[in-house]
Order: sequence, then C-alpha cells, then structure tokens
Amino acid sequence: MMGQLPTDEQEVQPPPTADRKRVGIIVTFALILTLLGLLAWGLKKAQAGPRESGMAPDFTITGFDGRTVTLNELRGQVVIVNFWASWCPPCREEAAYLEETWRKYEGEGVVFIGVDYVDTEKEALAYIEEFDITYINGPDIGTRIAQAYNIQGVPETFFVAKNGELRGVHIGPMKSPQLDEKIEELLAEQYP
Amino acid sequence: MIADIGLVALTIAFLFSVYATFASAYGGWHNQLTWVESARNAVLLAFPFLTVSVIVVVYSLYVLDFSLAYVYDVSSQAMSPFLRVTALWGGQQGSILFWAWLMAGFVATVLLRKWERDRELMPYFIATAMLTTAFFVGVALFITNPFMRLWHIEGATELTQSLFQPANSMPYFPEDGGGLNPLLRHFGMIGHPPTTYLGFTGFVIPFSFAIAALITGQSRGDEWIRTTRRWTLVAWIFLSIGLILGGRWAYDVLGWGGFWGWDPVENAMLMPWLTGTAFLHSVMMTEKRGMMKKWNMILIILTYSLALFGTFITRTGVISSVHAFAKSALGPAFFAFIGLTFIGSVTILYLRWDTLRSEHTLESFISRESAFVLQNMLFLAITFAVFWGTIFPLISELVTGVKITVGPPYFQRVTGPLFFVLLLLMGIAPLFAWRKQAMRALGKVIWIPFLASLGIAIIWGYIHRMHPASIIGLWLVTVTLSLILAEFWKGIQARRTTLSENPFTALFNLIGRNHRRYGGYIIHISVLLIALGFIGDANFKLETQGTVSSGESLTIGDYQLRFDRLRGYPGSDGREIVEAVTTLSQNGETIRALNPRRDYFIVQEQPVTVPGVYSTPGKDVYVLLVGWDDGGQSATFKIYVNSLINWVWIGGLMMIIGTIIAAWNNPYQREMTYVLKPGGLSSHPLLQEG
Repeated sequence: MMGQLPTDEQEVQPPPTADRKRVGIIVTFALILTLLGLLAWGLKKAQAGPRESGMAPDFTITGFDGRTVTLNELRGQVVIVNFWASWCPPCREEAAYLEETWRKYEGEGVVFIGVDYVDTEKEALAYIEEFDITYINGPDIGTRIAQAYNIQGVPETFFVAKNGELRGVHIGPMKSPQLDEKIEELLAEQYP
Repeated sequence: MIADIGLVALTIAFLFSVYATFASAYGGWHNQLTWVESARNAVLLAFPFLTVSVIVVVYSLYVLDFSLAYVYDVSSQAMSPFLRVTALWGGQQGSILFWAWLMAGFVATVLLRKWERDRELMPYFIATAMLTTAFFVGVALFITNPFMRLWHIEGATELTQSLFQPANSMPYFPEDGGGLNPLLRHFGMIGHPPTTYLGFTGFVIPFSFAIAALITGQSRGDEWIRTTRRWTLVAWIFLSIGLILGGRWAYDVLGWGGFWGWDPVENAMLMPWLTGTAFLHSVMMTEKRGMMKKWNMILIILTYSLALFGTFITRTGVISSVHAFAKSALGPAFFAFIGLTFIGSVTILYLRWDTLRSEHTLESFISRESAFVLQNMLFLAITFAVFWGTIFPLISELVTGVKITVGPPYFQRVTGPLFFVLLLLMGIAPLFAWRKQAMRALGKVIWIPFLASLGIAIIWGYIHRMHPASIIGLWLVTVTLSLILAEFWKGIQARRTTLSENPFTALFNLIGRNHRRYGGYIIHISVLLIALGFIGDANFKLETQGTVSSGESLTIGDYQLRFDRLRGYPGSDGREIVEAVTTLSQNGETIRALNPRRDYFIVQEQPVTVPGVYSTPGKDVYVLLVGWDDGGQSATFKIYVNSLINWVWIGGLMMIIGTIIAAWNNPYQREMTYVLKPGGLSSHPLLQEG
C-alpha cells in the first residue's frame, strides 16, 4: 500500500521533479522552524519576569490632561513609573498611598508617571477623579510601554534612578512605607 | 471528598486516552484488529470518566465548595446558579478540562457512528485524535488541575494550592469566592467560549481523518472528505457563532461602540475560520473533479495548526492582547505539542505528497475550477496578512528591539481589497460551469443583476453622496446579492414551468432537493449581511460626548438625547446600579426612554458600563453613561450612531440556518452501504441507488 505509484489512467499532470519537491520541503521546514523559534523566544520572554535592571526603556506619554513627558528628559530626577487600570481592584488599594507619596515628594526631584494599561478613557478619568490623582497619567496606547517593561500585570511599579537606570520593580499594590523607603534610597544616590 | 472522585476520574481518563493512542497506532501498524478495537473501547470509556470529572467541577461550582482553588477563583455566593455553572469555562483550569471533554466526546461519537464505515482509516484516526485529547487531558491533570485545594501553611502569608496536603498545613475554607469577572457575565461571553471550543475541537475530526488518510495512503481517494464533510460544517458553524458572539459581547460590554477590533485574540480565531472556510469549499473540487487534493490537505492542516497557534499565543501571553488569559505554566507543554503537530503533519504530508496528484488539470481560465483556486488563494492571502499583523510585534521586537503593534488600519487596508474580490467571486463563481465557462453565456446570465445593482448603487450613492466610499461597498453587496437571488429565481421559475408548482412550494422543494447548493447560497447571503455591518461601521459611524445638566439635551445627527435624572438601586448578582433616565427623540419627536447604566460589582470592586441602545434595522443609537457630578444633577454621556450594525447579528442567525440546511441529510442522495472485507480492516463502499 505504502509508496505505490498512482496508476490512474486520467493522470495527466507531470510528477514534480524530485528537486523541486526537496526545495519545497526544505523551505517549508525552514519556515516552520523559524516560526517555532520565534514562538519559543516569545514564550521565554513572556515567562521571564519584568525588567528590573539596566537602562529603563524610554517612552513618551501624553496625559489625559494633555501634558506630555519623556522619560529620557528626566535625568537627574527619580522617576516612579506606575502601571494601573481602572478595572483593577488591587490598583485601588494603592492609589491613595501613591498620590499621598507624590504630594509629599513633589518638587524634591521626584517624578511620578501613571501609565494606564488597557483601559477605557471614561473609567480611567473617573478613577483619577475618585482618588484625586494630580501626577501625570496617560493611556498606554497599543500597550507599547507595558511591553517594553514586560509587565506581568497591574498594578506594577518601576523605580528609575537619576541616571535613568532601573532600580527594581514592585509587583502588586504597595503599602506604606515601601514607596517612601525606595524614593529615599534613590534620592540619596549621587548624580553629577 | 466529591472532588477526589473528580480527580480519580480525570486520572483514569488520562490513562485510557494514552492507551487508546498507542493501542490504535500499534494495531494499525501491525494490522491487528483486536488492538484497534481495544483502543476504541478505551475511547468509549475515557469519555464517561471525563464526564464524571466535568460533573464534579460543575457540582463544586454550584454548591460553592471554596476549598477548591478554582471554585474560589471564579464562583461566589452572589452569583446566580446559572452563572455558577457557566463558570466551568470562566477560567483556565475549567476551560481546559471542558475542552478535553468536548474533544473526547467528538471522538467517541465518530467511533460510534462511523466504525463500520471507515475501518481502514480508524486506527490512525483514533491515534491522531486521541493523541490530541490525551494532551489536553494531561494538561488538565498535571498543569491546570481544577481539583487543586487551598492550604494554609504555618507562618506563610499566602495560601498554597496543592492537590495533596503539604507539610505543616491546614486546609483552608474561604467564606466566599472572587466570582466570575463581571465583564464576562453577558450572554455573548457565556456562549462564546463553548461555541469556540466546539469549533476548535470539531476541526480535530477532519484533521485526524486527513492524517489517517495520508498515513494509510487513502489520501488518493476522497473517502475521508465525504466522511468528514458534515463534521467540518459543524465545526465551522460553531467557530462562526463563536466569532459573532464574541463581537456581540464586545459591542455590548466593552463600551467602545464597535464589534471588531483586530485584537490578537480575535485574529487568533479569525485565521482558522478563514482557512476552514477555504477548506469547506476546496473539498468540493475533490468530490466533483478529483482535483485540489494537495490544497485540501494543506488547508486542513493549516486550519488545525492555526487553531492550536491561536490558543497558544492567547493563553501563554506570547502576544499581549486586551483579553489575554492569566499566565500559567501551560506555555512549555503547549509549545512542545504545537511543535510536534506542525512538524509531524508536514512530514507525513511530504512523504505522501505524490499520492495527492490531481486527476484533471485546469482547462480554462474562466471555469468553476479556476474560481476555486482563486478563492483558496484569496483566503490564504487574507490569512497570511492577518497572521503577519498578529505576530509582527514579536518580529519587530526581535529585529529592532522595539515592539511595534500594528493597529486596525493595517488590517483594514490590507485585507479590505482582498475581501472585496472574495465577495465578488462569491457571487459570480457559482455561475461558472465546470471545466470551461463561455464568456458570452456568462454575460447573458449576469447582465440583468449587474445593471440592477448598478442602478441601486447610483441611487444609494446620490443619497449618501457625503460618503463616497460606501458606494463601492454597497454596490458590491447588491451585485453579489442579486446574482445569488437570480439563482433562486431561475430555480423557482424552472419548477413552476415544468412542474406547475406555486412559487412557495417551488422554493421549498428547490431547497429540499439540493440542500448543499441552496444552503450554501443562504450562507453566502448571510455573509453579505455581515459585510453590510462592516460597511456601516467604516462609513457612517457618528460619535459625540458631552456633559449635560438635568433637562438639557445632547444632539447627534437627527437625534437628541435629553437627560432627565439619575437613579440608583441594588441589582442581581451582587451589584449596585446607577442608571440615567434619558429620553431619545428624533427631529423633536420623542422615540423612547433610554437607560444607560453603570453597574458596580461590590465584591470585585469593578464597574461595568451597560449601554442604553435604541435599535432599528437601519441603525443603533448607543448611549453610554460616562460619569456624573453634583450628586446626579449633571451627567456625561458618550453617544454613537452605528449604522447597519444589526445586520451582523441578523446575518449570523441566517448563517446558522443556512448551515443547518447545507448539513441536512439529503433523502434524495444515493444511499451508501458498506461491507466488511473478510479477515481484515479494509472496507469498501458499494454505491447503491437509494
């Protein structure tokens, strides 16, 4: 049964040459292996944790209020990047503490950036209003920033030192005095 | 206690599935019927054991056994009994088990129905289908086990999930669970997962038959295609329903006024649908002309692989998406399985490539055959465009280090023209003759529908001269629709003149005598109706947002929305509702009251926006309550006017009806009987006039 040649009388199409077939299968396998390689790489990245060290990926975000801020232009200041969403209950746990800490350090060389992850504007605005959040908050359009930081979920907070390097990440809601301690530590660093 | 029964049943089902895979492959290889029969019995036992396992999960969800981590995650006291049961597919663990159960059920059904008929294919059919089933049962058992319990280990701040009691631990019984994500409590999201799973798992059947046909060398014939035609149709319609329900859910719940956003999860489902649709058509060429056997094999392997691929990228977080599932340890196992499926099926296809020669060649450029080739190419081109856009973020990150997500404009621009040609082909191709179509004869058939549609398009274009792009879309829909209706007309006329039937009897008998053809036409019409929804969405959408005080109105198009007041009351399933009382009028005349709401789910601390919708066949007025102020004295609304959107849902219903007609057993078709050859596995159909 196996490997028999067809004996159909109506067979009119010439058999493809062995070479053509071989090239076809090599190309097909190359494509499949490339795809599998790509998926394996993506999977490894997805399973790896968020970025914790190295230079913080740069981004520019436009706030709901129209303000724009670019991370790389904030050298010399400590930057707290907080990913959140209005649909995320744990975010609500830390929202008041974040705003309180921001007001405490405002004007002392600390910048807070709220990155709103996969959200709808109206809910996000209601959330900002509810917690009376005054630091810049903007939508992460196309989840580009979240992807650059490889976040695991929301809330997640990244700490950027004065020289633009990442100095760790906190997954889940923060409680007093975690953020205060981290900011004090980063403010103490020397920057030329 | 009850959960232990579920766990034991799941374990036994896994052992049976693994046994069935190897026993059938061994039996097929050594031509030993007893092994294959034993494998069949194992399948027929695996399914009831899985059923017990599923019943235990459903029961635990229903009685709220919060000692199970899964129940604690997705069920809660405030949920109605119905919602608790649907929580079976509300999370990863339950949905994987549910998936495995459906698949085992399908395979068992095939073995009960087709056992006598396709004996030669059976060993490898069972091996392929049960390998897949065993994989999913294995994942449910070892990775995403729904019977994990919650334990509190002494001194730990977090609870531990484990099947068995860890050292120094106490069982933990929470008072209440987290409950199903409020966004998922909608008929679309309750129906979407099971229909999608039915679609995905349904394609396992034609895929496994195809692989069996390749292994046994039966791929030369078209028996496997005849056997699986109805399965393919069933899988396809469930996939279609899943897509439409998902769209309906997005429209009702997500609050952006649209139903399709080219999100990776949506694309993941669209791709197998596209190749599956191409396969459904392409197999006709093999049945009728013995051609396109290679195409069919490639298409069914692609369809199944894309279904797996879609599940993989969305469930493992490889490509982030708006509705990606929670991350889990599923990734590596799923990756290995996908790799095995891709490489294994392509290898088998390569080894059997020469058995798939066509029995005829294309004779003319304008013929039914060439139309089929063109439609396959179009479907594949669209699939590739969608595939490219979906994995582009990964590629761009690998190459440039920056993740670039391509948005809806890419998909619209690239697939739009291809869909245009495809829809046109859908109208014309059924008119083509097999082998060769004379242009003159074709012209005679199409000139009336063509002119009629041109006329309608000109009138339409005049009315909507503000939206010139819509004219092309509408012309396309009208020309294709009139070509299809002309087919019905011709059939009815023929019956009326030759059999002097009245028009309704003629229509009824016309469809009754040729289910496949006219069922297919009805599906084609439904596709046109869905296309109308897309045309409306692309061309006529209106949108406004504003804050008004009590008694004031917002205007959009000819509509005015007056805000009267806000009211609050407690709702079902643990929610507090704030509802705006508004009045919608058109050109000053009151139409009706609309009540857009904001439901706040207390346990989940999550708000859900429920639109107030005034729905007509022509358009929807879709009102969202965005926020309020001054203790309810003023409120902010977002209003959309969505034209033609309802035709998407109407088209969806019609698609189901068309598929039922197309899949219906045709009493006028030839009956087939089968005889078992003495002493072996082989059987051959004997055609007998019924």
